[in-house]
Amino acid sequence: MNKPNTKSVALRWLAVLFAVVLLAAACGSDSEESSSGGTLAAVQARGTLKCAINDNLPGFGSQQADATYVGFDVDFCRVVAAAVLGNANAVEYTPLDAGQRFPTLQSGDIDVLIRNTTWTASRDGNEQANFLFTTFYDGQGFMVHADSDISSLEDMANASICVLQGTTTLLNLNSEFNDRGIPFTPLEFQANDELQPAFTARTCEVWTADSSALAAFSASLSFPTRVLSEVISKEPLGPVVSDGDTEWAQVVNWATMATIQAEEYGINSQNLSEFMGSGNSNIRRFLGVPSPEGVEPDVGLGLPADFAEQIISQVGNYAEIFERHLTPLGLERDRNALWTDGGLMYVPPFR
Amino acid sequence: MLTRRLNRPPLWRDQKAIAIAVQAFTLALILLVGIWLWSNFQQRTAAIGLDLNFDFLRQPANIPIADNPLSKDASISATLLQALKNTFLVILAGIPLSLLLGTLVGIARMSTNWLVRKLATGYVEIIRNLPPLLIIVFLWGGVFLAFPAVGEGAEAENPWSLFGGWMLFSNSRFGFPSVVGLDNFEVYRTVFVSSVVIAGAVWIWRTWVFNRTGKPHRRLFWSLATLLSLSAVAFLVLQGPFEFSKPMLAGRVWSGGFRMQMPYVALMLALVLYTGSHISEIVRGSILAVHKGQVEASHALALNGLQRYRFVILPQAFRIAFPSLINQFLNYTKNSSLGVAIGFAEVTSVIFNLFGQSQPAPQLLLVLMFTYLALSLLLSAIGNLVNRLLTLEGAA
Repeated sequence: MNKPNTKSVALRWLAVLFAVVLLAAACGSDSEESSSGGTLAAVQARGTLKCAINDNLPGFGSQQADATYVGFDVDFCRVVAAAVLGNANAVEYTPLDAGQRFPTLQSGDIDVLIRNTTWTASRDGNEQANFLFTTFYDGQGFMVHADSDISSLEDMANASICVLQGTTTLLNLNSEFNDRGIPFTPLEFQANDELQPAFTARTCEVWTADSSALAAFSASLSFPTRVLSEVISKEPLGPVVSDGDTEWAQVVNWATMATIQAEEYGINSQNLSEFMGSGNSNIRRFLGVPSPEGVEPDVGLGLPADFAEQIISQVGNYAEIFERHLTPLGLERDRNALWTDGGLMYVPPFR
Repeated sequence: MLTRRLNRPPLWRDQKAIAIAVQAFTLALILLVGIWLWSNFQQRTAAIGLDLNFDFLRQPANIPIADNPLSKDASISATLLQALKNTFLVILAGIPLSLLLGTLVGIARMSTNWLVRKLATGYVEIIRNLPPLLIIVFLWGGVFLAFPAVGEGAEAENPWSLFGGWMLFSNSRFGFPSVVGLDNFEVYRTVFVSSVVIAGAVWIWRTWVFNRTGKPHRRLFWSLATLLSLSAVAFLVLQGPFEFSKPMLAGRVWSGGFRMQMPYVALMLALVLYTGSHISEIVRGSILAVHKGQVEASHALALNGLQRYRFVILPQAFRIAFPSLINQFLNYTKNSSLGVAIGFAEVTSVIFNLFGQSQPAPQLLLVLMFTYLALSLLLSAIGNLVNRLLTLEGAA
């Protein structure tokens, strides 16, 4: 009974195997394509920027009802896209949770990671990550319900503390409390979606995160909260790219810094046209205004000459980005003010 | 010899040769795909300069695990072991509970009582068709988060208490009574273990009597009576070698009794509910698979319902059900990884946590995969052993 069938079965197998080979070949050629050449060339060829963001942090990155993303970090994705592609909207967003961000960056699936990511030595060293210009200087704070009796870290003895997994926040919390000998119960969540109900139900009496994030959530919660004055860490947040592509790192860095330089010059999206005819040669060079002979300034970064103009006209300067997303949350410029105003925002000269 | 050679078809039409060729081709193909995957992996990791060794396991983890006081400098491997312990706690409590629940519901589904039957059917049809993650998050967020929020200060609530404070329920921890040894506890423990052995001997003796004389054995009664009376005498003689400890909560500090974290209970109960619904279907199917004549015979012997299940149906049904039950236990084990969703520090959760802490993802993924593989192989090894013991001679 088996005998007459064997050959057709064998043929069917051969067909299946043939299909598998074709598939493997197709996949193989696909992966080779993406690994060759620099990221800048790949982005320009693709016509879109793959940017990883947080979709769960009001102010920095969140999804709106119409499925678009808005926020401070999201705007820096737009800044890079405006600089590289001349179109701030040419961004493919990838929302990631804290644990996924470095594996995804390593896999080469994204061009840049702008997701309230703290620059640390071990991340720089172990994650094959290249941390670029800090766009927001933050620090780790603690939030409690307004009627809580907790007003200092010592008051938190034996309390449950909610924190996100895979964050420097968790490491700081553990070190700080261990060093001070304060016992605590950690509740470690993957996303704020689960953390927030736990805090609301007071399963955890304390919520620790970057101060800016706490301010953002405090504004969106339906009950009054109190952020403690104690800040236990430095959290410099900024864009991150993969190690090994200096050209791309420079592009993202200078695009980011252009927003701050623009603020320093007083150029914003509203008054940009006035500056295009400016007599200040530094500003003309910054905005990529051609010389009377028609020669465009080229600093050799691989960016179009008018990249700063594109950034300012399509997204705005640093102050505009900050005021659009963070000021409504009640955040002050503080450390994130320009150096001329006593803050830390100081960029190298654009010449 | 000559005729045989003449009768052989040419190689390309020889079924044996074709079969060998196809198999060789398949094997070569699998090898090729494997080599391609491996070289891809190597290229990619080399391109971004990833180290692929496991030295990082000795580095300090700096990740706290609730209710598992790790030292300040606990290494990643020590932290992972604590996480594995949490995974084991979910499995060890959950598998017997889901088996119990599944068996009861499986029987209830065939009850002659309309209400019992419909309730059981409703439970199975609803829970079996929901994803386990949904049940876990619902139990955690929809039920247990609504329990009293304890703590200090004016706004803190009192935990719900049952049995005069012997069981406490809050939205962060549950407290249950536990046994605490006092003086002479070591002696008592030895006596108790010996009593268990003696009770076992009594069981065997009663079985022997029953087999010899046909008198009712009443094994359970005899053994329990032996055990209880011996341990009671020891308890009195040793002047109370142990006492029950009541769970207490003062401010934020729990003491006494036996405490469970709320996420643990949520994960374990949700998985028991989910797995129980699947097991009940297996149990029901296995009961139906027991030959009708067996049930009729037990009716003819005038066995009552309990006896019918206990002596005739369940022993045979269990044998049929067992291989499928192992599958469910394996599923249960793997589903325990969903604890990551509600912040329970089981092994997946801690490994995902480490991904974000500058620890190498490829090696950690391997560790995670081998952990579940080892757990599954261990469970199926135990299962196969039990199955072999259950299998009747000549039945296989």
